[in-house]
Amino acid sequence: MNLTEGAISKITSGGATSAELKPTLQVTDLKQVQTKQPQQSDRFRLVLSDGSHLQQAMLGTQINHLVKDGNLRIGSIVQLNQYTCTTVQGRMIIIILELALVAEDCELIGNPVSAQRSSGPSPSPVAQPGNVNASPKSFGTNSVTGGVVGNQNMSAAPVQSPEINQFHNTPPSSNYGPGRFAPTNAPPLYPKVEATAGSVPSSGLYVNQNAGYLNPRPEISQPHMGSYSRPPQSAYQQPPPMYSNRGPVARNEAPPRIIPITALNPYQGRWTIKARVTAKGELRHYNNTRGDGKVFSFDLLDSDGGEIRVTCFNQVADQFYHQIEAGRVYLISKGNLKPAQKNFNHLRHDLEIFLESTSTIQPCFEDDNTIPKQQFHFRPISDVEDMENNSVVDVIGVVTSIAPTTSLMRKNGTETQKRTLQLKDMSGRSVELTLWGNFCNAEGQRLQHICDSGGFPVLAVKSGRISEFSGKAVGTISTSQLFIEPDSPEANRLKEWFDRDGRNTPSLSISRETSTLGRSDVMKTISQIKDERLGTSEKPDWITVPATVIYVKSDNFCYTACPIMSGERPCNKKVTNNGDGKWRCEKCDQSVDECDYRYILQFQIQDHTGISWVTAFQECGEEIMGISAKDLHYLKHEQQDDEGFSKVLRQVLFSRYVFKLKVKEETFSDEQRVKSTVVKSEKVNYSSQSRLLLDMMEKFKSGNDTSFACKAESSYHNPGVNNAVIGNFGSRQAGPPGSNPVGSTSYTGNVGLPANQLGQYGNQQNPMFPMQSSSGAYRSCNSCGATSHSSANCPSMVNAPGQSMGGSYANRTSQGGTGECYKCHQVGHWARDCPGLSSSGKMGGISKQHVGGF
Amino acid sequence: MDTSKPAIFVNGALLPMHVRKRVRTVIQVVGADRGAVVGKSPDDLQLVVKGSPPSAPLTNFVEVIGIADSEKSIQAEIWTNFGDAFDTYNYNQLCQLANGEYQHLFL
Repeated sequence: MNLTEGAISKITSGGATSAELKPTLQVTDLKQVQTKQPQQSDRFRLVLSDGSHLQQAMLGTQINHLVKDGNLRIGSIVQLNQYTCTTVQGRMIIIILELALVAEDCELIGNPVSAQRSSGPSPSPVAQPGNVNASPKSFGTNSVTGGVVGNQNMSAAPVQSPEINQFHNTPPSSNYGPGRFAPTNAPPLYPKVEATAGSVPSSGLYVNQNAGYLNPRPEISQPHMGSYSRPPQSAYQQPPPMYSNRGPVARNEAPPRIIPITALNPYQGRWTIKARVTAKGELRHYNNTRGDGKVFSFDLLDSDGGEIRVTCFNQVADQFYHQIEAGRVYLISKGNLKPAQKNFNHLRHDLEIFLESTSTIQPCFEDDNTIPKQQFHFRPISDVEDMENNSVVDVIGVVTSIAPTTSLMRKNGTETQKRTLQLKDMSGRSVELTLWGNFCNAEGQRLQHICDSGGFPVLAVKSGRISEFSGKAVGTISTSQLFIEPDSPEANRLKEWFDRDGRNTPSLSISRETSTLGRSDVMKTISQIKDERLGTSEKPDWITVPATVIYVKSDNFCYTACPIMSGERPCNKKVTNNGDGKWRCEKCDQSVDECDYRYILQFQIQDHTGISWVTAFQECGEEIMGISAKDLHYLKHEQQDDEGFSKVLRQVLFSRYVFKLKVKEETFSDEQRVKSTVVKSEKVNYSSQSRLLLDMMEKFKSGNDTSFACKAESSYHNPGVNNAVIGNFGSRQAGPPGSNPVGSTSYTGNVGLPANQLGQYGNQQNPMFPMQSSSGAYRSCNSCGATSHSSANCPSMVNAPGQSMGGSYANRTSQGGTGECYKCHQVGHWARDCPGLSSSGKMGGISKQHVGGF
Repeated sequence: MDTSKPAIFVNGALLPMHVRKRVRTVIQVVGADRGAVVGKSPDDLQLVVKGSPPSAPLTNFVEVIGIADSEKSIQAEIWTNFGDAFDTYNYNQLCQLANGEYQHLFL
């Protein structure tokens, strides 16, 4: 049987048409194009060989019957009678319109290589970008696409050739290497799997194409896989190619080839990964609604840097727990891939492997040095500052100090150990690292020894959790790992830096120091609780308020508390009188003869800005009242000593304290209420309080403190304070009546008012407002218009109030700091005087003028 | 508070500006000298306070109100014991505030 030699190059070069050349060619591959639209007729792609070259072709639909009848098969020899050449997406395709079958079956003739000449940028047929779009849909619509190439590659990849031989020497990644492309030109049916591996372009998008054959939904291929996205196993999973005269190949039970962890996706049934166990968790027992169980998990890292967590439950956990050894390399196959639970699993993989009893874990006895022992994603400490609470981070730093272990009680009554140390790195920041539990003794002790002997060990923390308790700090979690003096480039660089200049560079801590300022030491006024809507955010606000106790609620100042000890402390829950003289606690489910009395003291505090109700509990109540709740209770109820009782109350009234308040909005019977709880109260230390105030005044004078801007009493004396108020009036107050174009809009009725109505303020306002100074008139005395003096010194001032019809506004300027108009929210007037409603009828301000300010 | 006879807050350095006026200051008693009390002003200058101290023994710190009769002495009318601990720094700051930019705020 002779094929028309050189026909393919003639056809594809355009040197022959179907009129002159009717070549005899062999079909080396035949495949049905999968279309998304079912109504579309079937299309068949085939690969033709002229004995030396291969070329893709598409069968015209009118001769589909040849394939369907089984006449046209792989191996068939055909004569093309009518055909055209088209270029689809940068590649040459022969469209066969008419052909004659010469032989139905024939052995492969010659050793053809791909003749694909591409008009695209790449000479390799498979590496063409055109492949990227080779989704089934494009087959359906474009008739011919790069998918043909894919098909060719597929058929050239016999299934039975897993790359087992690579397991112990070459990492899978080398499949991407250019060297693997060499077999691209290998003849079809080339029995080496490398043909497939090599012919797959390193472009991860090729996945789409492969998947397209496996699955009508190529979209499933993982978009996140980045440059590793080629799952080589897809070649394996592909349906067996149709070899002529051969039955379908039986299911391949040989181990699938190793794929990178990053390429794992939930749609693969079989895969094998080769990875190192970087961390092995404890076998934990749990108890939930479905009963008891145990779980154990470990983390894997492969040579591509992909990491994933493996979790096993119950019997599976028992089965594998003892097999897994941290640090060893394993081949793992079969298992369920499920989305990772990000709150427990912080590894950089969206999935998690759940092993089943059929899963296999096979240790690799040869260590694979291409798999790193541990993978870190170190972040500089300065970055930690901006990271979210509870996120997991790897940090490396120099331990500058370490505190001894302390033990503390957890809420559930168990005791745990804690040890803190300071880590410092090149970012110029330091952070507090808290070691919990076993870390305190093992790694903590070693660090302590090094620090005690004058060393500054480098510590790498794998998976520390960021907490916001007192600034930003890093704490260990159960999956954390600590590496003291690790041998890594980062550690060496850090050590070098520290020895060179890091030791003497001061670093700013992002932990406690910054936090105490931000937390309970914010000095506020009572009005600020409301004005700044404190407590309405998610977390409570902690503020310090110096204030005076002005009223104490004398009823229900205490409650009956349960004295039964639970753990270290009494239960303190409310107990109720049983009626038989015994007190019953619901929580403890016990009755006691005698109950405790604890304060729940409600009282009002006042400062110069306002009044607020606050609540103080036991310790604070005692501090304020100077007598225990029990004694006070007896005084009032047992001894009925009203005189003594009110004496105690009177003593408390009008005493000044510095209150630390926890301000938090709470909901009581569907009503939102901001509640302030006293967490600490101290008698005012006048000396330090004065210094504080002096400091504030100093800051205020230098103009960088605006916290006083709301204070009424300072508003007159400092021009800056009046901004908001003056803005409303300024344009109208000064200047000759009627000549001011600015004050028109809402104040039209007032334009004609005497200009000096606000005389005494004018001189202070003017410098503040460029708007005003733009008119020369404002530079002069507002009262009499003369330029030689300011209105404050104006001799005509004495008469000014009498002339001022609109004085009400002016007055409000000085009163205004205490409140704002709730109609227009401007300070400076009350709602009943609001100019926003009507500009007339508010002229009765003469008397008020005398009240205001002075 | 008696506002009929305002007294200016002064320290040692400010006293010379208010000779013949009614002033008030706090001194740390150093000793007595010929019927007058010698003390240290909040800004650590030596002042002489004349007049008759109250019968009660003076404490370490004493507030005196009276007429400044020279640049370094006060004829005191009112003596008030301020105890043995007193923050002179704050008082000194107060004196400066009372004689500076915000003078109008004080009586």
